[in-house]
Amino acid sequence: MAHPLQLGLQDASSPIMEELLYFHDHALMIVFLISSLVLYTISLMLTTKLMHTSTMNAQMVETMWTILPAVILTSIALPSLRILYMTDEINNPLLTIKAMGHQWYWSYEYTDYTDLNFDSYMTPTLDLKPGELRLLEVDNRTVLPMETPVRMLISSEDVLHSWAVPSLGLKTDAIPGRLNQTTLSATRPGLFYGQCSEICGSNHSFMPIVLELIPLKHFETWSTLTS
Amino acid sequence: MAGTSLGARFYRQIRRHPALIPMISFIGLGMGSAALYLLRLALHSPDVCWDRKNNPEPWNRLNPNDQYKFLAVSTDYKKLKKDRPDF
Repeated sequence: MAHPLQLGLQDASSPIMEELLYFHDHALMIVFLISSLVLYTISLMLTTKLMHTSTMNAQMVETMWTILPAVILTSIALPSLRILYMTDEINNPLLTIKAMGHQWYWSYEYTDYTDLNFDSYMTPTLDLKPGELRLLEVDNRTVLPMETPVRMLISSEDVLHSWAVPSLGLKTDAIPGRLNQTTLSATRPGLFYGQCSEICGSNHSFMPIVLELIPLKHFETWSTLTS
Repeated sequence: MAGTSLGARFYRQIRRHPALIPMISFIGLGMGSAALYLLRLALHSPDVCWDRKNNPEPWNRLNPNDQYKFLAVSTDYKKLKKDRPDF
């Protein structure tokens, strides 16, 4: 989850999110370099009494500030496309879970097991136990096995929603009448929080997602207990 | 008239402004790549149907080890097993 006054992305807990973090560092460094160069140039321009009003021809500088931005943009585009294709790869999911968006809660169906499905409502602020996170906790967490590829099928029963878990690098729109697929693979156990990411009515900010990633053995115990 | 064809006029203008050569080449590269990718999608994408009589729904005739995306970063499609029946 995010901590207060956080500026950067959350720590990565999936391989794709690690790649995205590195890419974000790379692109942000380029942005900082260009911005500081521009700011420095502006400050130089504004703090000199010198004047030159007769520039007619500037072939060398024109060539440089065409080639250099093209090279920079290519150096941003190539890793970006690589990660884009990486997110679409086949990775043999071992488990399929359907997440259906409703106004204003998520429901999860584990149809690989018989009769394992539940709704996941946000815990109201007055009912929070000490230490729990406001507007992020739910009554039934989505329990998943860690280090296994899981196929998530996302759709909606009424209006547009979006199922997002930032620390795993996931965001998939829940569109009524359409089934969207994403794969999830967490590298470590723990609780991973996300919130609905498509405006869906008055309680759009109050339908969070909590994934509880546990070792496979414990997941199998849980699934037999709850189904 | 010899020197007023499109190529001759273009050549003269480029000689006067050589700084435009990188810009024209990068734009040409970008537009050319976009056009080639569009052509690749039109000809090789399984979502496109050209021949309604002989190949009506190409998306129904995919194998598990077909690679129809442009780039495969860490999956070797030839090695994937085909574990479903043929119809």
